[in-house]
Amino acid sequence: MRYGFLFIFLGLLVPEWVWAERIGDISETSAFEQARRFFSFQDPAVRYALVGSILLGISCGLLGSFLVVRKMALFGDTLSHAVLPGVALGFLWNMSKDPVAIFVGATLAGLLGGAMVTLIKQTTRLKEDTALGLVLASFFAIGICLLTRIQNISTGSKGGLDAYLFGQAASLGRDDVILMAIITVLAVLLIAIFYKELLLTSFDAAFARAAGFPVTMIHYVLMLLLAFSVVIALQAVGVVLVSAMLITPAAAAYLLTDRMHVMLLLASVFGVTAGAAGAFFSFMSTNLPTGPLMVMGASLVFVLAFLFGPRHGVVSRWWRRQSRSAQIQRENTLKAIYHVLEGRSFEGEGVSLRELAEKRRETIDEVRGQSRELKTHQMATLHEDGDSVHLTPEGWQRACEIVRNHRLWELYLTNEASIAPDHVHDDAEVIEHVLGEETVRQLERTLNHATKDPHGRPIPGLMDLKLGGQIMGGPATVPGYGRTT
Amino acid sequence: MSEENAKTPVPLELHDLTVSYHKRPVLWGVDVEVTAGQLVGVIGPNGAGKSTLIKAAMGMLPLNSGWVKVFGEPVEKNLQRVGYVPQRESVDWDFPVSVMDVVLMGRYGHLGLFKRPAKSDREKARECLEKVKMLPYADRQISNLSGGQQQRVFLARALAQESDLYFMDEPFAGVDAATETAIVAILQELRKQGKTLLVVHHDLTTAREYFDSLLLLNMRVVAFGPTKAIFNQELLQRTYGGRLTILSEVAEAVGSKAD
Amino acid sequence: MNEPFIPAFNWQEHVISPWMSELSMTLPIVLMAFFVITSCGLIGNYLILRRMALVGDAISHSVLAGIAGVVVFTGGLQVTGLFIGALVAGVVTTVLIELIHRYSRVKQDAAIGITFTTLFALGVILINLKAGQVHIDEECVLYGEIAFVPLDQTKISIPLAMVQAMDNLPLAGEFIKGGQLVVATGVLRMAIVTLVVVALIWAFYKELLVSSFDSALAYSLGINANMVHYALMSLLSIVVVSAFESVGAILVVAMLILPGATAHLLSTRLPVIMALTVLHAALSTLLGFHLAKWLDCSIAGALVVAAMGLFVLAWIFGIHDGLLGKWLRQRRVQHELPEEITQSSSLTT
Repeated sequence: MRYGFLFIFLGLLVPEWVWAERIGDISETSAFEQARRFFSFQDPAVRYALVGSILLGISCGLLGSFLVVRKMALFGDTLSHAVLPGVALGFLWNMSKDPVAIFVGATLAGLLGGAMVTLIKQTTRLKEDTALGLVLASFFAIGICLLTRIQNISTGSKGGLDAYLFGQAASLGRDDVILMAIITVLAVLLIAIFYKELLLTSFDAAFARAAGFPVTMIHYVLMLLLAFSVVIALQAVGVVLVSAMLITPAAAAYLLTDRMHVMLLLASVFGVTAGAAGAFFSFMSTNLPTGPLMVMGASLVFVLAFLFGPRHGVVSRWWRRQSRSAQIQRENTLKAIYHVLEGRSFEGEGVSLRELAEKRRETIDEVRGQSRELKTHQMATLHEDGDSVHLTPEGWQRACEIVRNHRLWELYLTNEASIAPDHVHDDAEVIEHVLGEETVRQLERTLNHATKDPHGRPIPGLMDLKLGGQIMGGPATVPGYGRTT
Repeated sequence: MSEENAKTPVPLELHDLTVSYHKRPVLWGVDVEVTAGQLVGVIGPNGAGKSTLIKAAMGMLPLNSGWVKVFGEPVEKNLQRVGYVPQRESVDWDFPVSVMDVVLMGRYGHLGLFKRPAKSDREKARECLEKVKMLPYADRQISNLSGGQQQRVFLARALAQESDLYFMDEPFAGVDAATETAIVAILQELRKQGKTLLVVHHDLTTAREYFDSLLLLNMRVVAFGPTKAIFNQELLQRTYGGRLTILSEVAEAVGSKAD
Repeated sequence: MNEPFIPAFNWQEHVISPWMSELSMTLPIVLMAFFVITSCGLIGNYLILRRMALVGDAISHSVLAGIAGVVVFTGGLQVTGLFIGALVAGVVTTVLIELIHRYSRVKQDAAIGITFTTLFALGVILINLKAGQVHIDEECVLYGEIAFVPLDQTKISIPLAMVQAMDNLPLAGEFIKGGQLVVATGVLRMAIVTLVVVALIWAFYKELLVSSFDSALAYSLGINANMVHYALMSLLSIVVVSAFESVGAILVVAMLILPGATAHLLSTRLPVIMALTVLHAALSTLLGFHLAKWLDCSIAGALVVAAMGLFVLAWIFGIHDGLLGKWLRQRRVQHELPEEITQSSSLTT
């Protein structure tokens, strides 16, 4: 999709031919001139296209949010393909692009398609996905037959009906935009009024039914609104890609928030952004239909949310994982230092890098790097000659905590979960880094404040943690640890 | 007798098995060694990791630690000696196959690539259907069966596999009394043939009579041994009592941190 | 509007003459349609069974991006290029859906929707940018150009004996020129693809059956479910791209689902369903072709409308799931209910 945008941006730089028959009288102009013309909003076609795109962005974003949280995304796809025969029949009504006739026809066809999906699911062994795909393609085929028939009898001209397939925002007229405005206002109003009911039925239909909400009714109202928003979006986005305007902005919003009303707002904003961008780029370039451009805009928003969303984004999660594994690495170094100190009964100050390297079975250079890491986090100091490392009070405290967590967990698994003592070490290696203070208190209570782990080694207590500052302050107090041994 | 046992590898050996589901640890440090010819009931409350244990033993889930050996080899090498009866809900019973087709699937492990079931395979399948008293239904479509009948079909398929070690996930769930008796009889018969069976079971009251060994499970092995020795108030209390809240809390913490 | 929307039906013009004087146009189109619907329908059966009908929908849309990519990079529509492009697009779609689903909280259905609309939009944009250089346009994307299939021909040398044998047949001159058999290239390609599909399904029938029915059993039999999945998706991409030029990206979805869905309503045995799928393909080809002749509309569209008509017939009159049968059974039960109650109560006492 990056290439798609590359092409569009290239299109911005190169002088382009303008779609004269759609925009008006100008035949050739530069991209800059085009952009200026777009933003001056002098041309009524530009105004209608822009307003229409914004309206469809709002209504699709709102209704799409409900589709996404109800896990009905592909129902939207089916519904949007199913309207095509309705569009054709609406056109046949008086062989013209009458917005109202097309609106009524398309809505009816969409609802009929939706009803057929439900009926197939209820009366046959076919599953939902089959029913959706079946209705989608069948209705679309009927639409194609009617459209090609219309094309053949009205000698070549489809009366602008091809805009309904891939969308052409520039073909929106005043009447179209008025109809879109009415429907969008209606959708916003209904959603505002029935927000509570919609939220509840989307979240827990069974509970809502038990609580006496007219769940089925609300479902059908939602379907009707959905059909409406699909139909008004048709001319600008096209039958084939309307579903993207429903699903993609809403899914992007879903990645960014946990609250429904924020999601509705974000989805509308994304929808409007994508819609307006699509209208703009379609206006800028020679022969690009609006629908695919809008969809690319929406997809770009989704990709950004997918990668960089602050909480659920892939990049931010990767970043969190990285910093966690760095933290675990530091904690393991601290633990090793503690073990070295413990091995010589806490005699002497500091631990030489050689001792540490032996303990961790690593090279001196590796442990030097790890010690520097500790230093940057104020957990330890490195001696001037650079080959011994001394814990700071904070470092000592964290080291004690990790060792305590490890040994407590080993004891817990052995005593309470009756797991063999020689099996508990690996689990404890993981758990020592995630135990919170509260769980530790609970563990200590459960284990009656035991002082030895299953292997007979002392479990550092609260006193040792607190004493940390003094201990590291002078070697005299180090044997204080001896109390527990 | 004991010398002979020492020579033949143990059917199932789980060593220090820790398994996570959706990054959340479900089983901790499971150590189990099941000797040949045992009928073991796996008992424990909901969410104790019973199905997870079976899936992990079959190598269907990644392990956090530990290993599984089936007849002395990694499970992937000995899969053809393992039979599996999944939970009934795990398949689509509207699938367009007949009872016979399903039982024949049990024979696929004995066929090579591109080979079709031979007459002998059909004979074997018919035999197995007869054992579960489902032969009259051989040509039925599977959606036209009751819950108990569906379970019998699964059992017949397991029989047709002619495995040496069987894992069964809740074969008694939602079946009628007649089917339950029939299943128990077949389990006993398989055991007599020297097969080894691990059966996840839900009902404590019947567990005592059905199985000669029990594996009490609640996120870790509470006890494993002959039913007579371990079916007592204290161990059941430890299995079903909520004394291990810390274990599940910590599992939760691991799951959320790992994300 | 000079002519009526629904023209008068003329048996001679719409049914007989396509098979007489216009045979050299009719035969390639009909064969092409039959091969397309058969190969799509056979693969589609497995999509239906694996509840992946909408993944089929997704791949048939995204293949457009692969085709467009090939057009942009090579500037033409060579067959090998197209196959590779389609394969890449199919695998990319499958992987993207899986990625979005796994690494975010977006559910599978929305992941499918986002993936294929994006790739389809990309495809449309690329094709538009290249419009005029290759004979591919928006309309072709939507409903194909099956009517053009007879125009692109390939000559195959055949034994002289066959030439002589066929010379006696009426209209043989249309198909044998200079001692060589003249066939439409598209039909030849599609026939090969169909043969490959049939052969693969026949060869891996067992593996496909088990992995679709019970993935756990498949695992314990040592069948790699992932490999089956990707193999199926790759085959699907190949079939879709071969069908693409004749029926377009969206109507392919109908070819994938309708034959299988119809067959599923009529039988509960997989081999029978496969046979019914082929029968459905043949019937919808004939009905659809003549429907298009009569209404003078898109042939691909008419094929689907005919296929859908057959589905609706099966839905209403089918022996297993038929609406009519259900309704009749229900009525009978209502009539017989009092009797049954007395029967069952006498049994219990």
